[in-house]
Amino acid sequence: MILRIPSGIPGFDVLTSGDGVGGIPENTVTLVYGPPKVGKSIFCYHFMYNGLLQGEPCLYITSDYGLKQFQQNTRDFGWELDNYFQDETLCLIDAISSVSGSKIVDTPTYLSSSVHNPTDIMVKLGVGTRFISQKSARFRSVLDSLTTLMAFNQEMLIVRVLTAYIMRIKEDGGTAVVTYTEGSADSKVETMLKAVVDNVIHLDGNEITIEAMVGTGKKKSSYEITDSGITVGE
Amino acid sequence: MKKTYIPKLDDLLGGGILEGVSIMFCAYPGVDCEAFGYQMLNGRVEDGDRGFIFTNVAEPETIQYEFNSYGWNLESFIDSEKVFFVDGSSSFLGAPSESKYTIQDYAEVEDVILDAINDIPKGIGIINNLSVLIDYMGNGDTIDIIKNWNQKAKENETTLVYIFTEWDYDTGLIQKIKESMDCVVDLTTIEERVIIGQGFMVARASWTEPVETMVLFFVVQPGGVKVYVPKILVTGPYNSGKSSFVKAITTESVSVDRKALGAFPTTIAMDIGHVDYKGFLADVFGTPGQERFDLILNVLSKEAVGAFIMVDSTAPKTFARAKEMIRKTRAEAIPKIIVANKQDLPDALSPEEIREKMKLKKDIPIIPAVVTEKKGIEESLDALLKLLYGD
Amino acid sequence: MKLYESGVPGFDALLGDVGGIPENTVNLLYGPPKVGKSIFCYQFMYNGLLQEEPCLFITADYGLKELQQRTMDFNWFIQTHMQQQNLYVIDLLSRLSGKKLEDSANYKISSLQNPTDMMVKVGTGTRAVFQKSTKFRSVFDSLTVQFAFNPDHLVLRVLKAYINRIKEARGIAIITHTEGTVESKIEDYLKNTVDNVIYLDGNNITIEATEETQEVKAPYTIDDNGISIG
Repeated sequence: MILRIPSGIPGFDVLTSGDGVGGIPENTVTLVYGPPKVGKSIFCYHFMYNGLLQGEPCLYITSDYGLKQFQQNTRDFGWELDNYFQDETLCLIDAISSVSGSKIVDTPTYLSSSVHNPTDIMVKLGVGTRFISQKSARFRSVLDSLTTLMAFNQEMLIVRVLTAYIMRIKEDGGTAVVTYTEGSADSKVETMLKAVVDNVIHLDGNEITIEAMVGTGKKKSSYEITDSGITVGE
Repeated sequence: MKKTYIPKLDDLLGGGILEGVSIMFCAYPGVDCEAFGYQMLNGRVEDGDRGFIFTNVAEPETIQYEFNSYGWNLESFIDSEKVFFVDGSSSFLGAPSESKYTIQDYAEVEDVILDAINDIPKGIGIINNLSVLIDYMGNGDTIDIIKNWNQKAKENETTLVYIFTEWDYDTGLIQKIKESMDCVVDLTTIEERVIIGQGFMVARASWTEPVETMVLFFVVQPGGVKVYVPKILVTGPYNSGKSSFVKAITTESVSVDRKALGAFPTTIAMDIGHVDYKGFLADVFGTPGQERFDLILNVLSKEAVGAFIMVDSTAPKTFARAKEMIRKTRAEAIPKIIVANKQDLPDALSPEEIREKMKLKKDIPIIPAVVTEKKGIEESLDALLKLLYGD
Repeated sequence: MKLYESGVPGFDALLGDVGGIPENTVNLLYGPPKVGKSIFCYQFMYNGLLQEEPCLFITADYGLKELQQRTMDFNWFIQTHMQQQNLYVIDLLSRLSGKKLEDSANYKISSLQNPTDMMVKVGTGTRAVFQKSTKFRSVFDSLTVQFAFNPDHLVLRVLKAYINRIKEARGIAIITHTEGTVESKIEDYLKNTVDNVIYLDGNNITIEATEETQEVKAPYTIDDNGISIG
């Protein structure tokens, strides 16, 4: 019996339901990949926000959008995050604001880091995972995106960092989604990414493909992005 | 001279090691070699020297944990600044490091270690692991780097200890590496289909003609490298029943192996045990049957007081090998008992038929046995005791 | 000569009249990500355990906790076999979690970047399972992450030492590798180092030709009971 948690994406959980309740298998790591601008980050916002609504805290590592942009992006879909920062169920590791020169003061739920410094990201990850996993035995985590980390660092180093990240999240009982832009790294590295995660989901702008998922065969469906986020199927 | 803090090793090296020498532990894959470096460092630092550990195989935290399991307090050495790390592992994993030196890139490794050597004149540096370095740096570069380190260590009178795993490198390369060291200690496995023991042997030392002998060892936690000198050997061709015989004659409660296992799992087990029979106490080792281990037989039998030679009574083809092993073990000189095993099988030869086929003198007892059924065990022990002490 | 049942329905028949995998055989199981390589290994391990054939399992993709979870998804319960010490696990991954973990007599923690230490544990592990039964199995799942943590050449050297250890004891082993994660010349080398090469692509399983045998190919499926062929 494989436990699954809801993704928060309308249609997705139906797509992934076999004989039971669909969703993302608990305590696994899912890679969401595809070309640029097909909704990978939106997928992550859904996953995070749905968890927060159900009282599952989230550790979110952002390397593409700084705090302000991140909040704006989610607000576009009507998802307000302020409350969750305040009640300390959302912890953000911001690896990009410091690069653009913005100075934001660290709080228990806002940790500034840098895409240039994977070691520091790992330190913050340790702090963040401890903080979040103490809140709840069941929690979610997002790493958006590997692409940016790989652009600023040796690709293989990021594979090793990802391996450690996966191990930590799973050991503490979390479920994670990581994103990657198709074709941005060496093809050997890309294959390795698919190998180290549990589930692989491909988005191409029109179709979502479940390439691999624990307990689910290959699945495919159309999807669209509207004001309320991603909708899978008709 | 400095001590190595490895039991028996100083004796083989003419008393110890000279100031500022390089020493490499060259291990066959599967031998526990890291303990040798750590034990040397621990001994030296406890006696007042300073040291560093270069690691590219484990984070400093893991190494501290390992020291603890041996019963050595690396943490206090670090707190009191007697020992520091050159951390070539953490940044590779994207993990933070609080070490004095961290290596971000292998291109830095040569200079950083030169600095580290400079920091600890008359001290000791451990390089763990040299083989991993080779595959990152390329062959030629590594040898030049080793030479520079060893030169600097000589000037500073710092001891450099290299841990090297002898994977399937080109033999020419291994030769060159060995030649760049003042001293090489080979660590080998003793096998019969699986590893049944480990031994060390000094291959070369620039300051002395090393004693050519192999020393059996095992690694225990706590404790570290322990030397094992068996007094009774159990030998014989392959499949003659040596392991079962060793098991049958030894008492579990006092076996070194078991005791160590009880404290903490040993990193490697051996076919060893302890006999406690009618007031007679001795350590036992079952030696492998293959020819490539004949050297060990030879070496071990110098210290042994007696030997059991196992033969499979149904396999006359192996008798010639058994006879040869008797010769190799120099068991001619020590009391020995032939154990004619597998007497329960239909085509087993009788002890007298075996004596005839092997052309053995009348005064060598041949005891019929079925080791799996514990038959002939006491008789074998009694026979050896009789030879040792008379009636 | 000892024969081993793979435990994967339909697989042994693919091997011809022999009816199983002969002793002293090292098999490379490779293919793209997520085609069932690990599941094949679990099935192979578990089938052996049910027949009192102990197993030395090197896990490099999942920690022990996950290995237990993932096998349980198929109703294969390894816990009792660990208690009976028929299953010996070398865990190369769990240390990355940053947690303090304790070894036991047949659960050893090593790390991806310390092959020397791993081989020490392979040494004790083969000895331990061999003493349980000379008919034993081994699984190395997988090489993929090894390549991210070590220079390619070192991974190959270690692999060779592992294969020697298994062959010396006349055991049988499966090694898995994800296709396309290393250069093709390294992949060729991998294939040349083993006795049998088995390819999974998600739909078909192919046993590649050897000097004595021809290529065989058959469709396979994965369900709650694991992999079945044909």
